[in-house]
Amino acid sequence: MNVLSCSINTLIKEGLYEISGVEVGQHFYWQIGGFQVHAQVLITSWVVIAILLGSAALAVRNPQTIPTGGQNFFEFVLEFIRDVSQTQIGEEYGPWVPFIGTLFLFIFVSNWSGALLPWKIIQLPQGELAAPTNDINTTVALALLTSVAYFYAGISKKGLGYFSKYIQPTPILLPINILEDFTKPLSLSFRLFGNILADELVVVVLVSLVPLVVPIPVMFLGLFTSGIQALIFATLAAAYIGESMEGHH
Amino acid sequence: MANSIMASSKPLISLSSNQPSRVQIPKFAKLPQIPKSVSSSDLRSKALSLSSATAKSLALIAAFAPPSMAEAMEKAQLFDFNLTLPIIVVEFLFLMFALDKVYYSPLGNFMDQRDSAIKEKLASVKDTSSEVKALDEQAAAVMRAARAEIAAALNKMKKETQVEVEEKLAEGRKKVEAELQEALLSLEKQKEETIKALDSQISALSEDIVKKVLPS
Repeated sequence: MNVLSCSINTLIKEGLYEISGVEVGQHFYWQIGGFQVHAQVLITSWVVIAILLGSAALAVRNPQTIPTGGQNFFEFVLEFIRDVSQTQIGEEYGPWVPFIGTLFLFIFVSNWSGALLPWKIIQLPQGELAAPTNDINTTVALALLTSVAYFYAGISKKGLGYFSKYIQPTPILLPINILEDFTKPLSLSFRLFGNILADELVVVVLVSLVPLVVPIPVMFLGLFTSGIQALIFATLAAAYIGESMEGHH
Repeated sequence: MANSIMASSKPLISLSSNQPSRVQIPKFAKLPQIPKSVSSSDLRSKALSLSSATAKSLALIAAFAPPSMAEAMEKAQLFDFNLTLPIIVVEFLFLMFALDKVYYSPLGNFMDQRDSAIKEKLASVKDTSSEVKALDEQAAAVMRAARAEIAAALNKMKKETQVEVEEKLAEGRKKVEAELQEALLSLEKQKEETIKALDSQISALSEDIVKKVLPS
């Protein structure tokens, strides 16, 4: 009897507690003026921002006519971002390059940092460091910014005439058109959040079950989906902006 | 619905409650020691009133879950919106402006300038190609002129030499003819002389013949 309970004890401690070591939805809280914040998200986002700004500043510090190394890479990235914005927004994509580019780079580096940086070395009192994008606050923040951005784009381009798009093909579609403004940020944020969280969960659970070899392809798949998610977010944001800027016929 | 999800304090991965039923309830004695999670008297009364299986599972969870975990699970929330959201918004906007200052604008301008410079150079190269064409034509014209000149000179020279050759030929012919004439003249003279000599000899010969034929 004692042995049995002991084995169950170890089973729960070794097995279930280890799986629960994934620590889904657990946060390391800081109090700021009576409000709570998720410290782990803020810390990792600072690291991501530092990586982005530092590497960009280092590579673009002294541009050469014939690019090499870092400058070459950053030129490639910038051309990629410009290409995405131009495809989605059209000829007037210029002012939107910083927004689209920062969306893409921030999400991309966040996602990859979750997979590549050894966050787990740093122990927090509660919760754990992971990609900032696996917190719903981050993804909703980015999605809301996208909403604001496309409203701003539409209104600055067409003035109040922008709102005539709600009754555009026919006034019957008014409710659906209004609903779209809610589904866009919702789908954007939940797609990113779900993908990154699920990816990290799958990797952690697989690692806890089979520590060797087996998780590696899943990790590569995770890197792949992370990149794709960043691209999807940026592309969709650009598409929404372009859609609200295009003239209706 | 969304509200209820956000407000729920349930952990996503909860400890499974279907433990094997043959396990007795060995840890009831420990219950009072569990801090925080549920007040022990409450739990005890519940456990006593509940069916044995439920009691067992409850007890197991309570007994084996370390206190820190229980406390954490109470707080575990997936959809926990708080001040992090606006802070991330501000951070993102800061990153956007900073990256624009550091990366997009400088490098973008640099790339555009380089592009236009390359285009300019390409255009200028196209211009020089027309220049090269003109130069080529000029060279061809010069070549043609030179060739024509040379051909003319050659023709002239040919003509001159031909005249000269003809002159010389005519001269030679005249000379030959003169010599021929001379030779013919001298031949005639010789002939006459020979005939004359023969004439004088004929008489002597005929006398000889007559002497020989006619017996004397």
